[in-house]
Amino acid sequence: MSKKKSRNLFIGVCVAPALILLILFMVIPTIEVFRMSLYQWGGFSNNQQFVGFNNFKLLWNDMDFIRSFQNSILLIVIVAIFTFVIAVFFAAILSKEKIRGSNFFRVIFYIPNILSIVVIAGIFSAIYDPSNGLLNSIFHLLSLETLQQKWLGNQTIVIYSVAGALVWQAIGYYMVMYMSSMASIPASYYEAASLEGASKMKQFTGITLPLIWNNIRTTLTFFIISTINLSFLLVKAMTGGGPDGSSEVFLFYMYDQAYTNSTYGYGMAIGVVVFIFSFALAAIVNFITKRDVLEY
Amino acid sequence: MKKCLSMIFFSLLVLSLAACSESQSANGDTGNGKTTLHVAALESGYGGDMWTKIADAYEAANENVTVELTVEKNLEELIRPNMQAGEYPDVLLLATGRPEGLTETLIKEDGMEKITDVLDMDVYGEDMTVNNKLLEGFSDTLATNPYADGETYLAPMFYSPTGLFYNAGLFEEKGWEVPKTWGDMWALGEKAAKEGISLFTYPTTGYFDTMVGSMLYASGGTDFFNSAMTYEDGVWETEEATKVLETIKKLADYTHPNTVANANPNDFTKNQQLVLDNEALFMPNGTWVVGEMKEAPKADNFEWGMMSLPSFEKGGDRYAFTFFEQMWIPSASENKQAAKEFITYMYTDEAASIFLESGAVQPIKGITEEMEGDNLLYYNIYEEDGVLPAMGTFASTAPVPGVSIGDTLYGSIDSVISGEISVEEWRKQIEEASDQLRPAMN
Repeated sequence: MSKKKSRNLFIGVCVAPALILLILFMVIPTIEVFRMSLYQWGGFSNNQQFVGFNNFKLLWNDMDFIRSFQNSILLIVIVAIFTFVIAVFFAAILSKEKIRGSNFFRVIFYIPNILSIVVIAGIFSAIYDPSNGLLNSIFHLLSLETLQQKWLGNQTIVIYSVAGALVWQAIGYYMVMYMSSMASIPASYYEAASLEGASKMKQFTGITLPLIWNNIRTTLTFFIISTINLSFLLVKAMTGGGPDGSSEVFLFYMYDQAYTNSTYGYGMAIGVVVFIFSFALAAIVNFITKRDVLEY
Repeated sequence: MKKCLSMIFFSLLVLSLAACSESQSANGDTGNGKTTLHVAALESGYGGDMWTKIADAYEAANENVTVELTVEKNLEELIRPNMQAGEYPDVLLLATGRPEGLTETLIKEDGMEKITDVLDMDVYGEDMTVNNKLLEGFSDTLATNPYADGETYLAPMFYSPTGLFYNAGLFEEKGWEVPKTWGDMWALGEKAAKEGISLFTYPTTGYFDTMVGSMLYASGGTDFFNSAMTYEDGVWETEEATKVLETIKKLADYTHPNTVANANPNDFTKNQQLVLDNEALFMPNGTWVVGEMKEAPKADNFEWGMMSLPSFEKGGDRYAFTFFEQMWIPSASENKQAAKEFITYMYTDEAASIFLESGAVQPIKGITEEMEGDNLLYYNIYEEDGVLPAMGTFASTAPVPGVSIGDTLYGSIDSVISGEISVEEWRKQIEEASDQLRPAMN
């Protein structure tokens, strides 16, 4: 065997297990989801009935699905914006300013990320409790009774309450990511800038942001994926989609239809829409944030 | 080179496939002529111990059978993947009305074995047929005969009366009388409001299934109830249905303000706590709530009380909905005959007393004589004047995408209570869902 051949063989052997696993557990199930979305099927029996695009036509007129879709988009937008702003802000402070106990804060910020989503649901159900919850108690203490709300009972507010919990748990993770890329920016840039008389704000927008831009782009995709996934788990554990379905997100609705309502094919059609939507959204975000990578 | 690569690829593929297909010979006869019966049961409020005892007792009674038990709180999550892969338990104790809806799926998919003949079989080891031993009315409702065709597919198990639960101690202390009609109810609501107590709360909207059922019975009788359950056209526009919907709407004014905010899977016990703390008077619930809230702090002189739903007129019929769990055989089971025998064993005196030890009550004749204490009080609710048992559930339909009568009828109550939708809008939604489900009935 020539050297090149044996090298190729070695590469092939190394890659094969991962490739097989990928095909077996990712590619085939995904194709299966697309296939099943064209069928009417309850999930167990052998009578799968081919219905073409009928499931998708029904989706178009299903107001519950549209509401859950709106909720998901709202969550993605709110959670991404708030997490991003807060995480960058704290990352900049903790990495550039000399604050006593900055390591302690870093740990504190990161803790929510380690917690399971069910624990977070428990914590926030205590915070949002209508009578003796943390939030309403604080408003009472400050004599701001008018701001007290039924955080999980008011149908217009409940989705923002869910967003609050998601932001809270996400900040630490993204903060650490931004901090690590901020740490690799040479200090000399900031020294030079401050000698020239640039303010802290100017330094941030002129040096920090452009140099961590690539990192930010990556996290934008993360925001989309993790919000879609975590919002399902949180809604399932905390609100159960209620009151009256007002906090349902699309994955929750998909689960509800595929299992509880025994319309598996319809659920898979929702899965297809979610799949295409998240891919497209990530691609669009990636495309419009494209800049030349700055080298340093 | 290419050949070499593809050979490696294939051998790996074969290896991984072989790893997937190892457990083929799980079911059926074992070597020594014994049948292995796979029983899957939900571990509910009664605990899992009783199932181990039942399995032991049955193995002792029937030497030809080994029982393999799966008892879990999240039973659906555990058995669903196996079932989709074709490995079905032989018998399941899993009721309808669970959030996961696995039992309903099997009904809708015609995946259940007909067990009408079990009713005529002798109870295992006794000379009485199952039908003769069962309490009357339990084997001819939509909950056991889901296709409304006279054929039984689900066996009734563990029944429990439901109704409005309250603190009897509080009523005694205040000298209030337990209301008999909705008129009394509103009067009591005003009285309680002056003391800062709300008349009503509910754990989650799911608990309305029994309450609305009782109310439909009370307002229109059995035939009316059945026509509502079989999605008859225009049934929700009748006077009887309107009475029920309007009453629930009126309850909104007397419902504890925190109820809707806590009516979710995470916080529903906070609503139940409202009754324990004397902040609300009544909640719809079942006898399991006593065990569920056993460790919770309670107001002084707290004492559980349960009443049937009030009647609409003075002297009118009152109903207490009977909730029961079901046992069934999937048609994919490989040991159907053994499974049927096992079901008849469930109604033996031996099995019933094992269940009763854990608080689970079988719907068999004479069972109330074995009971004592609190349980007796609840199960004797039908001894009260004019209180009738109510049973049944919505008829099964083929799956209809995006339409769920439960979500529409019960789930919307959150919106009705918080004033988001009017009775008129609510009725329209129910009627629409009914219209869509009617043609899908099996």
